Amino acid sequence: MNTSTENIKVVDHKINYNNLVFYVIDTTNSILNIDHTMGYDALILDASDPEYARIVLKKIRSHYNPEFYLKPVFLLNFKETKDPLLNNMHDGLMTSYDQVVSMSEVAKRIFLKTTQLDNQLIPSFEGQTVKKVLNYMYTRDIRTLKPIVDLNSSIGYTYPELSINFTNTEEPQVLEILEWADREGLIWPDFYERVYLCNNCNSGALSYREVCPHCNSANSKSEDLVHHFPCAYIGPISDFQNNIDSSLNCPKCNKTLRHIGIDYDKPSVIHHCNNCDQNYQDAFIKSKCLSCEDDIDVKYLVPKTVNIYKLTRKGRSAATSGFLSSSLEVDDIFGTINMQTLRIMLHYELEKVKESPAQKTSIALVHLENIFELYNKIGKKGERKLLEELVAVVRENIKSSDVIAFESSSTLYLMLTNTTSENAEQKLMNLTALTENLIKKNFNSFKVNLLYKVKMLDANKKAEVQLQELSKDFFA
Amino acid sequence: MEYLDEFFNYISSVSPSKLVRVFWFFFFFEFVRFFLVDFTTVLLWKITAVFRKKRVKEGRNLFWAEKPLISIIVPGKNEGKHIFKLANSLKEQTYQNFELIVIDDGSDDETKSICNSLKKNGLIDIFLSNDVRGGKASAANLGLRYSSGKYIIHMDADCSYDRDAVENIIVPFYYNEKLGAVGGDVQVRNYRESLCASLQAIEYTDTISIGRISQSQLGIYRIISGAFGAFKKDALDSVGGWDIGPGLDGDITVKVRKMGYEIHFEPTAICQTNVPVTFKALTKQRLRWDKSLIRFRVRKHRDVFYPNESFRISNFVSFVENITYSLVLNFKWYFYLIDMVLNYTSRLVFIIPMNFILYTINNYFKFIVFSLFRERKNVKAEYFMLYMPLMALYFGYYLRLVRTYAYLQELIFRRSYEDSWNPEKSSRQAKSLKL
Repeated sequence: MNTSTENIKVVDHKINYNNLVFYVIDTTNSILNIDHTMGYDALILDASDPEYARIVLKKIRSHYNPEFYLKPVFLLNFKETKDPLLNNMHDGLMTSYDQVVSMSEVAKRIFLKTTQLDNQLIPSFEGQTVKKVLNYMYTRDIRTLKPIVDLNSSIGYTYPELSINFTNTEEPQVLEILEWADREGLIWPDFYERVYLCNNCNSGALSYREVCPHCNSANSKSEDLVHHFPCAYIGPISDFQNNIDSSLNCPKCNKTLRHIGIDYDKPSVIHHCNNCDQNYQDAFIKSKCLSCEDDIDVKYLVPKTVNIYKLTRKGRSAATSGFLSSSLEVDDIFGTINMQTLRIMLHYELEKVKESPAQKTSIALVHLENIFELYNKIGKKGERKLLEELVAVVRENIKSSDVIAFESSSTLYLMLTNTTSENAEQKLMNLTALTENLIKKNFNSFKVNLLYKVKMLDANKKAEVQLQELSKDFFA
Repeated sequence: MEYLDEFFNYISSVSPSKLVRVFWFFFFFEFVRFFLVDFTTVLLWKITAVFRKKRVKEGRNLFWAEKPLISIIVPGKNEGKHIFKLANSLKEQTYQNFELIVIDDGSDDETKSICNSLKKNGLIDIFLSNDVRGGKASAANLGLRYSSGKYIIHMDADCSYDRDAVENIIVPFYYNEKLGAVGGDVQVRNYRESLCASLQAIEYTDTISIGRISQSQLGIYRIISGAFGAFKKDALDSVGGWDIGPGLDGDITVKVRKMGYEIHFEPTAICQTNVPVTFKALTKQRLRWDKSLIRFRVRKHRDVFYPNESFRISNFVSFVENITYSLVLNFKWYFYLIDMVLNYTSRLVFIIPMNFILYTINNYFKFIVFSLFRERKNVKAEYFMLYMPLMALYFGYYLRLVRTYAYLQELIFRRSYEDSWNPEKSSRQAKSLKL
């Protein structure tokens, strides 16, 4: 076992120490495909070039495979930066390779914790993303998700542990996922700040300005209104100004204004629009989205609360024990029923099968394996639209008496009445091809891995048991 | 019974010459001016209507051919509750090429939000608000400053207008180029609300409406009501708009007259307003109005009497008539009273009731005769018949006493400068500059 600092040498970007292999990433080996780091215990990332270090760190931490995203990463030659990802998503800072000694202890602690993690598959995009964050937090002893000001984030704040899975423009999705985790009881919110987002593109990069209520132009001139008490003349201050000196003279009675509050006052302000020539007092406040350039009335901005989230008891144990999602947002898609109704219908179907054994009914589980990669890109609205189209395609290819039920946004069940398992297999094959084509065509050649399993309904088993068996066989 | 017998004996024994001697104030001043002169001029006005008809029609055609932009200015404080009704009534006007300008003079209620909402919904064209109250004149001047119309109509927020009121008040400008301003007819809307309001309704119907037709015919019309008055924008600009009140309605009319413009009263341009319903409120209003006679007629515009280059005989006559009948005769009435007390002490018990009867008969007669000349009545004349006997008390004693008190307050103490109707900061300046 090599435990002496004298023997710490970098050989071909590797350091062997204390039974651990550290892989050194610097600009000379320019790793952009992080799959090459597979098999190494920890990474030492040269942060002399912060931009390069950021790219690599993001690639590692945003990977869907725990082998990568949980891997200990130490930053070498780190200089102070405002980048929240670089600042928060490393496991230690090094100034020389000798520090591998202390870092190896850190890495070992992480490994130990990693072995305690539960590997259950959470059947929803939100669930998988949150589980990933919880895993990371557990292995690093982090108990709070804190928002950090980030000028690069589209909402102005970032939650490094979660946001690293998204691009800067996808930050609003981070808030949605946190809200989801809050609803699931995994985290507990504590108000930190409120942000307002564009109602078109969800960006928080907004430019607020006063505009003319008639033409929405910000090209205006503001002037004080001046009231001259002795003659009751009132008008903009320019009426009182002259080109000779700085004195103010009343245009009605020619008297010089002397003392504010005694012979004149300024009861209000008036704006003159240089674009449409209108005068107004109450300007509209509009915010221009610097991202999509929409000009939005401030009352239509989307308010979002940026909270500090603490892990709840459920959240703390979720990393090691897993958790069951209680909410499902795909229940109301047209043409589908929810899981509860499916169980009831299966119960009646079983009764029918018992009565007439010749009647064959099949159940099928369909799982879109890598669909979360796509959901990540297309957001909640896109996800919803995709599922609606998917249901439409499935509906066209099954009988009207057949039913569809979503278990999650990646998993659905079919009950195919009067269908043998062979026929069901055939139908599912066709559906696989159709679905893959649909997604490929609509989402920039994205190739979805659609997996399915079919089972003939057994009249002697309870509906719930048969669904569990199907799921167990599939995900085992 | 004995008293009545004696009373009738006294009446029947009074010879015409003695009747005139005893009731000289009535016969020489009030009957002549407020019945004979008014009746003659109104009769002439009615007779000559046939000849005016063609001119008015041509003026109306010209007006419709030009369709000028009219700026309606509504200044006021805490008037938000009335503005929606006013804006809606203006939507009903036969003439629609106008801009409605509402000026909020430092309201401390919901006026600002109400008006902003109305503006947003297109019922108000321009809404300007001052955070600090500056007085009605400054609010009206702010409206004038941002108006674009060829003609300006000044309205009060709590008034409503006949469908053709805006059209009718502007048409006279098109058949008489010399006009600088036109006053509309103000009628009492809430005449049923109290006895006080009913008496004012009679006063408005009789003295104000008919009186103004007569004054207009004689060329001495001098107060364009702030509730409904139209002005040539040029005329208003040339006089610098409104000056500090109270009494700015009369002041602006005089200023326009002094610029050489003629002033016209248009009885077909009808506006309805709410009058004070209690005598306390009415007294406060009339004290303010009456003080302005001293402040503006006697003091500020006394140059009307000077034979300088801007001297105009019509202005001179208008002022003389106004001061004579409102100020001089008001005090002379007290001489009449002393005359009666000293010379007819024993007969006072008969003279006072007879005086009352004489005025009441005159009031009935006038009301019935003048009813024939009224353009449009908002109330049937019969409604007022019951109240007519009280008018002798209302005109002869109540209004006279209020007037006297106001004149004395203004002549001696210049109390108009302390009226809370105007902000103290403006009044202080006006007083120190003797405006």
